[in-house]
Amino acid sequence: MTRHLTCFIVTAFSLATLLALPAVPSFAQGQQSQPEPPGINPAGGGVPMASLEKLKTKSSGPTPRAPDGKPDLSGIWGPDPHMIGDIAVALKPGEKLPLQPWALKLSKERLSKDDPNASCLPSGIPRQSPFPFKIIETPKLIVFLIEGNVHTYRQIFVDGSSHPKDLDPSWFGDSRGKWDGDTLVVDTVGFNDKFWFDGIGHPHTEKLHVIERYRRPDAGHLAYEITIDDPGAYTRPFTLYANSPLLQNTEIMEYFCIENNQDVAHILGKGTPAKE
Amino acid sequence: MARYRLGVLVAGFGLLFAVLPAFAHHAFVAQYDASKSTTLHGVVTKVEWTNPHARFYVDVRDTSGKVTNWNLELASPNALRRLGWTRDILKPGDQVSVFAAPAKDGAKMANARTVTLADGRKMVAGVAAEQGGVQ
Repeated sequence: MTRHLTCFIVTAFSLATLLALPAVPSFAQGQQSQPEPPGINPAGGGVPMASLEKLKTKSSGPTPRAPDGKPDLSGIWGPDPHMIGDIAVALKPGEKLPLQPWALKLSKERLSKDDPNASCLPSGIPRQSPFPFKIIETPKLIVFLIEGNVHTYRQIFVDGSSHPKDLDPSWFGDSRGKWDGDTLVVDTVGFNDKFWFDGIGHPHTEKLHVIERYRRPDAGHLAYEITIDDPGAYTRPFTLYANSPLLQNTEIMEYFCIENNQDVAHILGKGTPAKE
Repeated sequence: MARYRLGVLVAGFGLLFAVLPAFAHHAFVAQYDASKSTTLHGVVTKVEWTNPHARFYVDVRDTSGKVTNWNLELASPNALRRLGWTRDILKPGDQVSVFAAPAKDGAKMANARTVTLADGRKMVAGVAAEQGGVQ
């Protein structure tokens, strides 16, 4: 089913590109030569994702190491298109999101105009936008600078400390990291229930507990697994699998979405799930 | 005045785009109808190089002579920059042709998908639904 959908979408894209964009320069032509054009995944993509394609590092090398021997995750990374529109596509093939009945009902009822992201509120975790993020690794603190949406940051403390007690609920929670061999394990709690996991509105509660496992298998790639444990909205924990390419010849830029956001009043209905 | 005119091409292949969902800060399919994509010819009256979308406004004259100012949405400046756009590519007074998906709610707004500039350059512009389109 997924393969048929992918084939159809790729075919549709190819036809559309041939018919609609015959004079568009190298950008579109380059995409046609690839097995799956960037952003073609039903989860999201589009022009912002395609704009990163030529910035992906072509050559790679061994995993860079920090002076303390740990993998150095620092760099500017592209988003994973599976983490944007519908996180179900980031599950293992054949798996479904284990939504509790109320959460399934809510995710079907939610309308795009009510997506906090559409009103320029933060994406939270694990949702991504089609914009890069930058990791700055130091021995005791790892910082994510997030271009969008929204333009913000995350701090991951790797100093052996524990989560503070009595956290106020927040969009990105409180993140504490530790190294498990060459894998950075990030434990995050203290979330609010306001953000959506993705564009179609998969929900969560303040019971959300996220465990991220980041690896840099070579210089050019970041591989990560995100385990979502929310007994308030899901019947069991589940894990999302994602990859990010290292980007070169760019920097993260400003994306203050609130600046001129005219969209919300014109949004009707909802986005389309990547799959049922 | 002759420079104002309206060209309308309802593209049948737009149906191909309509099946592809789109997301970033909002879902393309919830706001624009790619199946009614239209080519607008007109003159740029204003440019906003802003987030979450760069926008430009074009005066378009229809066959009855009535001029309508269209609000045309591009991608965000960060994405446009990475695609080779600069903020002065579009300027007030420029004659342009824009292949655009109109707003579903009937507003005189559209998502610009390709912009053909006065010098003939054709720029990939906004949320390209055919690529899984994003905001």
